[in-house]
Amino acid sequence: MKLETHQGRKLMRRLTLMAAALATTAFTAPAFADGHLQIVDEPLELTVHLHWPRKQSYDETWPVELAAREMTGIHLKDATAGSNVKDSLEAFNLLLAGGDLPDIVGGHLLKNNVNKYGPEGAFVPLNDLIDEHAPNMKAFFDARPELRQAISAADGNMYYIPYLPDGKYGRAYFIRQDWLDALGLPQPQNVDEVYETLKAFRDGDPNGNGEKDEVPFFARNWEEFPRLVTLWDARTSGSDTYHDFLVQDGKIQHGYAQENYKIGIKNLAKWYAEGLIDPEVFTRGSSSRDYLLGENLGGMTHDWFASTAGYNTKLADTVEGFEFAAMIPPESVSGVRMEEHRRIPIKPDGWAISYQNEHPVETIKYFDFFFTPEGRNLSNFGVEGVHWDMVDGEPIYKPEIVSGERAVNSQMYDIGAQIQRGYWQDYRYEIQWTNEIALAGIALYDEGDYLVDQFLGVAFNEEEQSVFDKYWSSIRTYMLERQQAWLLGTGDVEAEWDDYLADLDRQGFNDVVAVMQSAYDRQYGQ
Amino acid sequence: MSGVILDKVVKRYGAVEVVHAIDLTVEPQEFVVLVGPSGCGKSTTLRMIAGLEEISDGTVEIDGRVVNRVAPKDRDVAMVFQNYALYPHLNVADNIAFGLRIRRTPKAEVLASIEEVAGILGLTEYLDRRPADLSGGQRQRVAMGRAIVRHPKVFLFDEPLSNLDAKLRTQMRAEIKRLHKRLGVTSVYVTHDQVEAMTLADRIVVMQDGHIEQIGTPMDLFLNPVNTFVAGFIGSPPMNQIEAIVEGGADAPRATFAGQSIALPKLDELSSRVGEKVTIGIRPEHAKIEPAGADAISVELDLVETLGSEALLHTTLAGNPFIIKAETGGDVEHLNQVTQFWAGPETIKVFDGKTGRAFGHPATSYQGGS
Amino acid sequence: MPDETRFQRVLFVLRRDWQLYLMLAPTVIWLLLFLYKPMYGLQIAFKDYSIFRGIAASPWVGLEHFHTLFGSDQFVRAVKNTVIISAFSLLFGFPVPILLALMFNEILHKTFKKTAQTIVYLPHFISSVIIAGIVITAFSPSVGIINYLISWLGFEPIYFLTKPEWFRPIFIGTGIWQEAGFSSIVYLAAIAGVSPTLYESAVVDGASRWQMMWKITLPSIMTTIIIMLIIRIGNLLEVSFEMIILLYQPATFETADVVNTWIYRQGLQGGQYDLAAAAGLFNAVVAFVLVIAANSLSKRYSRTSLW
Repeated sequence: MKLETHQGRKLMRRLTLMAAALATTAFTAPAFADGHLQIVDEPLELTVHLHWPRKQSYDETWPVELAAREMTGIHLKDATAGSNVKDSLEAFNLLLAGGDLPDIVGGHLLKNNVNKYGPEGAFVPLNDLIDEHAPNMKAFFDARPELRQAISAADGNMYYIPYLPDGKYGRAYFIRQDWLDALGLPQPQNVDEVYETLKAFRDGDPNGNGEKDEVPFFARNWEEFPRLVTLWDARTSGSDTYHDFLVQDGKIQHGYAQENYKIGIKNLAKWYAEGLIDPEVFTRGSSSRDYLLGENLGGMTHDWFASTAGYNTKLADTVEGFEFAAMIPPESVSGVRMEEHRRIPIKPDGWAISYQNEHPVETIKYFDFFFTPEGRNLSNFGVEGVHWDMVDGEPIYKPEIVSGERAVNSQMYDIGAQIQRGYWQDYRYEIQWTNEIALAGIALYDEGDYLVDQFLGVAFNEEEQSVFDKYWSSIRTYMLERQQAWLLGTGDVEAEWDDYLADLDRQGFNDVVAVMQSAYDRQYGQ
Repeated sequence: MSGVILDKVVKRYGAVEVVHAIDLTVEPQEFVVLVGPSGCGKSTTLRMIAGLEEISDGTVEIDGRVVNRVAPKDRDVAMVFQNYALYPHLNVADNIAFGLRIRRTPKAEVLASIEEVAGILGLTEYLDRRPADLSGGQRQRVAMGRAIVRHPKVFLFDEPLSNLDAKLRTQMRAEIKRLHKRLGVTSVYVTHDQVEAMTLADRIVVMQDGHIEQIGTPMDLFLNPVNTFVAGFIGSPPMNQIEAIVEGGADAPRATFAGQSIALPKLDELSSRVGEKVTIGIRPEHAKIEPAGADAISVELDLVETLGSEALLHTTLAGNPFIIKAETGGDVEHLNQVTQFWAGPETIKVFDGKTGRAFGHPATSYQGGS
Repeated sequence: MPDETRFQRVLFVLRRDWQLYLMLAPTVIWLLLFLYKPMYGLQIAFKDYSIFRGIAASPWVGLEHFHTLFGSDQFVRAVKNTVIISAFSLLFGFPVPILLALMFNEILHKTFKKTAQTIVYLPHFISSVIIAGIVITAFSPSVGIINYLISWLGFEPIYFLTKPEWFRPIFIGTGIWQEAGFSSIVYLAAIAGVSPTLYESAVVDGASRWQMMWKITLPSIMTTIIIMLIIRIGNLLEVSFEMIILLYQPATFETADVVNTWIYRQGLQGGQYDLAAAAGLFNAVVAFVLVIAANSLSKRYSRTSLW
């Protein structure tokens, strides 16, 4: 089987080489051919595994690849394993099990794997290579030392260059402004007012159909419902991953084991019992926002800025007076306005150099290319003059891109921009096609300082990893079970809290926190 | 005991009529065999009596009661099937008792009946076995046991012996005959094998294409077939048939064929048929190879089949096969020399050349059955 | 031929029956390649497996993974749930296709029979994701038909899919609804193989349709039933976990979490193939024991067995 794939790959290589040769000759864009970005004198080919959700492979005919080839002299050849499976982790395992690694291994959900197999020798440590050959990346990481720490493996080395998202905001509170107006209410400014507002939504028939069918608070992801414990100063996660650990004063904590969480859950259970929360919040699933807004039933939610604001235009004709407005986080019981969710500055996606790569220096230079202004623009916006133009020093999309029938990000994926290589995203790419209501919401959030610090994760050594693996999955399962039971009213958080903490302890919670802490201290230099 | 009366019974499948208004009276205790080639409607007729097929027209009467609308179980008949229809998951005793248990017969009575039937059929030592562990003959006996245990008014047999080898068939034939003698139950028996019919029947019903061709005792059919079909069906080997032209007058009728001529019996009907085509029938047993008169018929000998005391001489006459049954007398050599045969006019049957109907069918003492 | 060597004899047989061996070859190759060769990988259940190092180079850790498994409350609970769900699926789900087949066999009207069969076969061909969607909708407290009926009868609606006590009935019922029709095909085939004269004979003997079903049809397909039962018992621990993943919630883990879903979550957590392999091995051993036991019981009591 191995032999077969190997031969198949060879054949593919030959075929694509021909195709690429034809494409290159046809490609003429002298604007960036001045050569100052050239990495090699002779064209160099590097193989790449790039498994990501949209395509599961690296397309050598992407305009971005062709442009990068022209600018750097380096040509990436697709050698993605598992193109027939959707799951990137599975594809990575297929690649590793196959034995032969391409020069560059990249794609979705790379971090844990490179940090595990890097120290075993599968990937090249990048620290020295960056210091010596990658001035742009070095400058970036010198400016953001916490990011360098965050992606380091347990042995202190960096093994991959991440995809670095730009922009701060993710989810925000949205409320039906037209409902508020109909009921003569202001936007709720604190937890008590939220409670009263939701009750008013429930009882006041704000949709005016004479039926008590309003769903005051709903959520596409049920995890956004317990996230409301932030209104009682509790926490559900420290990162953009649900149920993650968090750091407070240099100490690793978990929100679900803190006292405030008990209070928050107790109150949310009450809200749920009183019908202020979508009774089907746990099973309604991803279509709930479409359904509840489209049917004029949903009153308030916590969801992504851009897509949620989009309903204002989407439903303008079908729901009369529809106005779904972003509102700043209400004050908690202690008066804190907190938006727990934000964009993470580092994704576990990106690319790494495999141990079989015979050109690590050229490769790191190639990686660095995407941190140069030209490379960054290329990886964000596509090819200058084709997809965008520089206007007053700003990269501006051509009108046909912004007003294209398909979303801009989809168009970018098609040309090889915004894909999950190691690159530094530029928020200006997104601003150009974010609707005004969302931008207004973002401006609203920008006025205050609502975001909380992010926990960027730790890299375990083998010992810590085994403790973590042994206990964490079960503990997390147990936490979620109790959480739902309490929220649904089948359990009583007040009465069970001490037993719950004891159970967590018995299941190794303290051991998990301890290994997290030791990994954290090592990684972030405490 | 009770008889079965079929009155103008018709079976139709959609527009296709497969049994055409047949009349048949089976007397109480009589053993009647329906015989005919496959597809002649004999099994269908039997299944109508059993109630497994709906009767399209006419009536079936059992024991003086019209049963057209009576369910099979209430007709008080028992049926033995060609492939035995034994339940593979039940042992012999349970198979025999199946019908009784269905009718909720008291336990003690069931046990007694099983014992009795097993005794009659010699199955006592096999009662615990499953059908798969029995030989063909034993299975057949079990199937009969299932029928007789219920003491029905009528037994119906649907080719019960055709799955057995020749030796077993002979043996079982005798057993069925003996059983009938002993139990004296009215029986209707279907077979395509005329030997079975001849040996078992009180009366034989020969069927063809959904019609009854002839009803009569075995000897009656043997001696006086009403037409060429019956003549060709009954007897082993069956009657030889030769196409010929009638000559001569009422006093000395003769038949000529392929340049040869033979004397016919003196039948009134022949006088008006001079010059017409007839079929003459000569049973293999009635063709003699010893000189017995002037009318010798020449044949070409093909083959001699030796059966022991008898032999079959396969010959060709006027381009058609003609079989002669001859005594061997312990020696077949002389049979190889046969070139001609003689047949007495009284043994020769004459049939209408067009309709195949027998001329001058004499009333015999066998007519009408027992 | 006394001086014929064993090799010559084999060669002779091979040459004589080569067509037969050629036909046998695909199955043998398939068995070796896809069932026997992967058994080599089972050893990772006893190793600290790293894909990069490979199976051979990964260090042995003895029974550590099994200690982890049985030291975990949730694994033990998952085993318990698996057994309960399987046992009830078997108890309620196994007879349904047989009953369906018997019922179909009694239907004489051809068009009606065809229609009925198509309707009950249909769910089998619908993907689990859609089935789960149908179930979630049907049991929804606001728009579900079930709760509609419940409130119509004057009771409070129930949020079924978050109630641990309702998960098993719903899951098992869904499984029956989805597969019973299709599983009935094998029994229908077995019934079609029963000689019609058995029924005719029984009709003449005076059996009613009901008696014929019990005394002829059912015993005649008993071999098929027992073989299907042995196979089912062998798969006792194989709960269709895609469906569970689609239907369960942390709120219902208590009754819904089975070995395979546990392995699935465990695998996602850290790519713990070695631990998953240990759990899989445990599954396989239990299944093996169950099949052997079922087979020998069946051999003893019903004279039917797989081998």
